[in-house]
Amino acid sequence: MDEQGVPRRIGVYVCHCGGNISDVVDVETVTDRAGADEDVVIARHLPFMCSDEGQTTIEKDIAELGLDRVVVAACTPSLHETTFRRTVSRAGLNAYLYQHANIREQVSWAHVHDHAAATEKAARVVQAAIAKAASLHELDMVRVAAVHRALVVGGGVAGLRAALDLARFGMEVVLVERSKVLGGHTLRLGRTYPTEEPGRALVERLAAAVRAEPLVDVRLSTEVTGVSGYVGDFQVTLHSVAPSGNGSAGSDEVEVGAIVLATGFRDYEPAAGEYGFGGPGVVTLAAFQERLYAEEPDGDLAAALGMQGPVRAVAFLHCVGSRQAEGIDGGDGELNTYCSRVCCTASVRAAAETRRRFPDVRVVDVFRDIRTYARDQEDAYRAAGQAGVLFVRLPNDERARVETAAAEDPYPLLVRARDSLTFGAELELPVDVVVLATGMEPGGADALVAATKAPTGADGFLLEVHPKLRPVESATPGILLAGTARGPMDITESTTSASAAAAKVATLLARDQVEMEPFVAKVDPSRCSGNGACVSACPYAGAIGLQELELEDGVVEQRAYVNPVACKGCGACVAVCPNGAIDVQGWEIPQYVAMVDAITADDATPVPVGAGTEAGSS
Amino acid sequence: MSERTAAGEIDTDVLVVGAGIAGLQAALDLADQGNRVLLVEREASIGGRMIALSKVFPTMDCSSCITTPKMSSAAHHELVTTFTYTDVGSVEPAGRGFEATIVRRPRYVDEEACIGCRLCEYACPVDVPHEFDGGLGARRAVYIPFGTAIPQKAVVDLPNCILCGKCEKACPTDAIDFLQEPETITVRARAVVLTTGYRPTPTGAKKEYGAGRISNVIGGLDMERLLSPNGPYGRVLRPSDGKVPENIAYVQCAGSRDETLGVPYCSRVCCMYAVKQAMLLSGSLPVADITIYYMDIRAFGKGYEEFFQTARSMGINFVKAKVARIHERPDGDLDLRVELEEDDGRVEDVTHDLVVLSVGLQPGDDVRRFAPVSTDAYGFVRSADPALDATATDVPGLFAAGTALAPKDIVDTVAEASAVAMRVAAYLRETATPAGELVGVAHG
Repeated sequence: MDEQGVPRRIGVYVCHCGGNISDVVDVETVTDRAGADEDVVIARHLPFMCSDEGQTTIEKDIAELGLDRVVVAACTPSLHETTFRRTVSRAGLNAYLYQHANIREQVSWAHVHDHAAATEKAARVVQAAIAKAASLHELDMVRVAAVHRALVVGGGVAGLRAALDLARFGMEVVLVERSKVLGGHTLRLGRTYPTEEPGRALVERLAAAVRAEPLVDVRLSTEVTGVSGYVGDFQVTLHSVAPSGNGSAGSDEVEVGAIVLATGFRDYEPAAGEYGFGGPGVVTLAAFQERLYAEEPDGDLAAALGMQGPVRAVAFLHCVGSRQAEGIDGGDGELNTYCSRVCCTASVRAAAETRRRFPDVRVVDVFRDIRTYARDQEDAYRAAGQAGVLFVRLPNDERARVETAAAEDPYPLLVRARDSLTFGAELELPVDVVVLATGMEPGGADALVAATKAPTGADGFLLEVHPKLRPVESATPGILLAGTARGPMDITESTTSASAAAAKVATLLARDQVEMEPFVAKVDPSRCSGNGACVSACPYAGAIGLQELELEDGVVEQRAYVNPVACKGCGACVAVCPNGAIDVQGWEIPQYVAMVDAITADDATPVPVGAGTEAGSS
Repeated sequence: MSERTAAGEIDTDVLVVGAGIAGLQAALDLADQGNRVLLVEREASIGGRMIALSKVFPTMDCSSCITTPKMSSAAHHELVTTFTYTDVGSVEPAGRGFEATIVRRPRYVDEEACIGCRLCEYACPVDVPHEFDGGLGARRAVYIPFGTAIPQKAVVDLPNCILCGKCEKACPTDAIDFLQEPETITVRARAVVLTTGYRPTPTGAKKEYGAGRISNVIGGLDMERLLSPNGPYGRVLRPSDGKVPENIAYVQCAGSRDETLGVPYCSRVCCMYAVKQAMLLSGSLPVADITIYYMDIRAFGKGYEEFFQTARSMGINFVKAKVARIHERPDGDLDLRVELEEDDGRVEDVTHDLVVLSVGLQPGDDVRRFAPVSTDAYGFVRSADPALDATATDVPGLFAAGTALAPKDIVDTVAEASAVAMRVAAYLRETATPAGELVGVAHG
């Protein structure tokens, strides 16, 4: 019933889902019980509500029976809530006068073996949805005018690729790079996978394309020092130490609709003494590669590495700073449990290259699992073996040890490792050089990340909303993730993820307005006492605040207000308000109460655990 | 909407070939950017391989729950036209884009009239092994492809149909039409995206593993169906006798990293799906022993190593070994000769009651048959610029994404599909002048 006690005109539609529901739930009983509600004008059950037949039936009923609310009981709302909102909207009803009830994932699939209880639960879930539908109000989407300009942070290959794509799509881009040059880590790579193109040449090709785009404003030696605003309209403060692009030295502000974080990674820096690091002859793979590819094939590897003695034997050690395990790896206390993805291929390629250029140098490669996962990478692994690289496989929970050899020994370093390929033999490998295949670490832009509120995962890298559904979007709307800021990747994967992030920016800003769901907090100023508990509880910047409001008697007092664009509808403010002055639109407390009342209306029959409709979102 | 300009002709912005997760994601992104898309699919439903999977690593979401919203969004998007049961005959550069010939194969069911009620299916007397369930379950000769298929339209499997006419009588909308003919359509598109996917390396490829003739030696995708809530048995049973397996073996690289099969490359997903299935099995069969025989565990993606370590701590048995051969016993159990690559390197004979071959990925279609692209030695589409522009082929305006390019997992496929959409959208803009006239530009 409405506030005046007049019955609503609700239509209820129960879906069979082609047997997915109706094989377990007696849809006729559910429909009959729904039809008995005084607010329900029509209740039907159909094989597939999402089919054209189902949707047309709803539209026809709205027109002919004058329905004012619609409930569909079907699958999870994440599948078809939007479908049915569009359906009722097409028939002239406000899209938010629609309520979805999940009787598939939460009923028929969950209670396959108890048809009677499943039917009872479905009936109550539907009754709860009817009760909520009766108290729904019309809502409008939150709309923001979109600024047709994007900020790309980071001038490595990912940032360059994203900027290039967006410019070619016709969008203005501000590309900010902290250092004096474009290209990032790729610049240091002598040869890149898979084409063997030198890193510098690859960067030059990409950077030249970016510079040729008049829509890209490249700002070198520039950092982002502040971010405010929200999707569609961010205000970003840039600080430059030297003039570049359209910016001068000092601070200036740009307005953008979306931000691509292509802030890259940091090389793992081994601790002093970790696998002999810091001592003579122990280098990181990045440093070794730089020297290796710079040196002529007939050159002197020792001289290139800046070493006194001859280089007769080199050992590569994998997983330094990656795949660390509690109780095995010491490190700096914080363990990098993840795999850094690129080091295996880089190591086997460098090992093979060392053998090819310096055939007299013996090369041993100590690994746990060789992860040459991409197609041609397996060829590189095989080629390393053919080039005479000796592979040593460590048991899963064991590590190699690097020791300084005794003074009388012919080689300065000794690598000890147990080799499962030779059935657990304890090997002592005398070498001149140890190359540590260090992994990737997150970071390098902590302040910026904090300013954007983009969350990070347990591994410290920027966190995507969902690895499959939304792999390049952060939980903050309008903040996209490109390249290794999201986790270890190679160049191909970085540029691909950058294009994907650009695609999301293009979709977001292609229209004049950015639209968002209206499920946001709303303050009732007449009940608000301005105590600010909501402001402290709010996890989102600028979503809720206090402002001075002149009351009827002329007294000016603090009252809370919500910025619907920044609010995510989490309800943290609702829970802490002592006066019940805040509620989340579309999920109001009286609506919850109505649902609970409907579910528990008659407790003669026990209801399976977990009854209730799923919180809708799309 | 892609426009029908005349009978048998369609004008569109982008033709996407293959409606698996890559094609769906690319089509959705392109359409959301305002482009018209014609999405064609060889099978009777969109959804590709992913819709047949149980749960997916590393998040362990139910695969249907991730795939069906994308399928549904594509099917209902006003700028996406979807044709299932459709083959691509040719794709050629023509004028301002491409001209493609597509052939809609007859379903022998009027798609407009069919309401998906399944009465035909219930009436049909013919049982046929169901491809969707890896042949482990059965379907009828007229059938809806599977529960979450889109469209929910029946299809007649004519080679298996006995023409009894029972479906025709049962159909309430007279949708059965045995006189349907293939329909050839000429498509004019400004760009084309190949998302033709993969097929698993056949379980019968290796004679050492029974050449596909041992019923309790199944492929990884078959296990996906056994683990699915809507799978053929509704639970995990071994195929030969319906026994609940108690001692399951996974044989890794069964059809990858194997030069004798012409598949020397790593298929990239098999380690992770084996680890995932082992975890799911330890949930559904808590007393079963599960052993994974492997060369290297390639848990390289975000969160994958942690996933692998969780599996180890759950008591799943990881053994570094090569499986030399598999013999079937009279009771259906399997003798495996295992060459250990750890401990003392001995050769062991062990018995399991179900063996899962972690089969690899091969190209889903021979794209050179219809498109002027170059492929590598294995038939995967070659990227023109693998490091910087992985989705571009050597033909301007012709792009590819997903496992059509190389084996890859869903996470990487979805990102690549969005990437190709971006590249195509930029290409469409670059090749159109403001007046809508099209000009040729250098590709890159």
